Amino acid sequence: MISNEIEFHAPATLAEALELLRVDGEDVTVLSGGMSLLPMMNLGIIRPTKVLSLNRVAALDHVTERGDEILIGAMVRHHRVAADPLIQRHAPLLAAAARVIGDTQVRNRGTIGGSVAHADPSADYLPALAAAGGSVTLSGARGERTLTPDEFFVDLMFTTREPDEIVTAVTVPKLPDGWRSAYQRLARVEGSFAIVNAAAVVAGDRSAATVALGGVGPRPVVIDATEQLRGGVDEESLARVGEAAYEASQDATGDVMSDAEYRREMASVFARRALREAVGPVETRS
Amino acid sequence: MKTTINVRVNGEDQRVEVDTRMIVADMLRERLRLTGVHIGCATGNCGACTVMLDGRTVKSCCLLAADVDGAEITTIEALSTGPDDLHPIQQAFVENQGLQCGFCTPGMILSAKALLESNPDPSEDEIRHGIAGNLCRCTGYHFIVKSIQDAARRMHGSPRADHPA
Repeated sequence: MISNEIEFHAPATLAEALELLRVDGEDVTVLSGGMSLLPMMNLGIIRPTKVLSLNRVAALDHVTERGDEILIGAMVRHHRVAADPLIQRHAPLLAAAARVIGDTQVRNRGTIGGSVAHADPSADYLPALAAAGGSVTLSGARGERTLTPDEFFVDLMFTTREPDEIVTAVTVPKLPDGWRSAYQRLARVEGSFAIVNAAAVVAGDRSAATVALGGVGPRPVVIDATEQLRGGVDEESLARVGEAAYEASQDATGDVMSDAEYRREMASVFARRALREAVGPVETRS
Repeated sequence: MKTTINVRVNGEDQRVEVDTRMIVADMLRERLRLTGVHIGCATGNCGACTVMLDGRTVKSCCLLAADVDGAEITTIEALSTGPDDLHPIQQAFVENQGLQCGFCTPGMILSAKALLESNPDPSEDEIRHGIAGNLCRCTGYHFIVKSIQDAARRMHGSPRADHPA
């Protein structure tokens, strides 16, 4: 059993949850799927005294089409992100990332809002969200605000969420017709956190391309690959994207799985792989 | 801090007083004596504590009991009443040596059950993906996969009406 006493709250509405945070935000730990929080509590790495569960807030469990965007409520679980028809059709990059998170049991419980708020730099959603040009919506006593990944993610497991705020939704612009995307990850075994991951988005006429990388710094690294692909997509232009990925990954740090240099090399490889998968068959120059 | 929750476990309504720091796996084992729920790692890695929560497999070590008020839970105990009444998946594990020490088996079988319900005829690759969240420290994966393939054959087209769980 978890060693410290816990004051547990599981309100049914966002208003009640926000009120609790307004009064007591500094001392409250927000729980969604718990796939990172509960292991840390079981291990005693963190010892929250007050836990606010969002699992009863039904209003946060929705997938909504709004004009050119898809809104994904914070409590939408990974299995639904992977399988939801609206997300599959309009935000396939998010669905692709969700499909490979953890394992079946983790995907059945973990949520997109929890993963984004936790801000683990290896999380599958982070480069997907960054490459897709998505945003994170927060609600608090002072109202609602929507931030780009660049504004939201600050450092390793550190975001600009205030203690009285809750991540309520992730919004992704619909992938325009003809545009393509792909997600690739490097991990030692299925289910483990990615060492490096990469998400790519490419315009149908290849007039624009973005690659976002995870695991090579405290926050997602975004590369505009448009320039490198200007002369067409071939092994040479992909190699230039790989070089750009290597350069952009200068903040990579080493850990027990891989040293910093290996991560930078793999960032180069996986940026190319994601882009290659997104563009489809590559022409070869004769 | 104590709280009382209502859960439906293996078809029976239960009213359980739990400590707010109690995980679901401990509640099932210690309060309801469902000791088929095993706890291997308590960090969401090994899958020995796998149960069905509202119809989907979850790792019950990573859920607070206070957070599952109103839920429906199915454990390995629901699959059979005894050795003479094994679920086809359990029978397949017995006949194919799908277990060695047996510690991971309840979780393996529930993951296999969830897999076969959504995909009655899985490929070997799909089976391996389906049990990716369950670790066998005897490393008996080959026979576990074989067992699940056999279970698929046993269940395919002829689901046993006496095993609604």
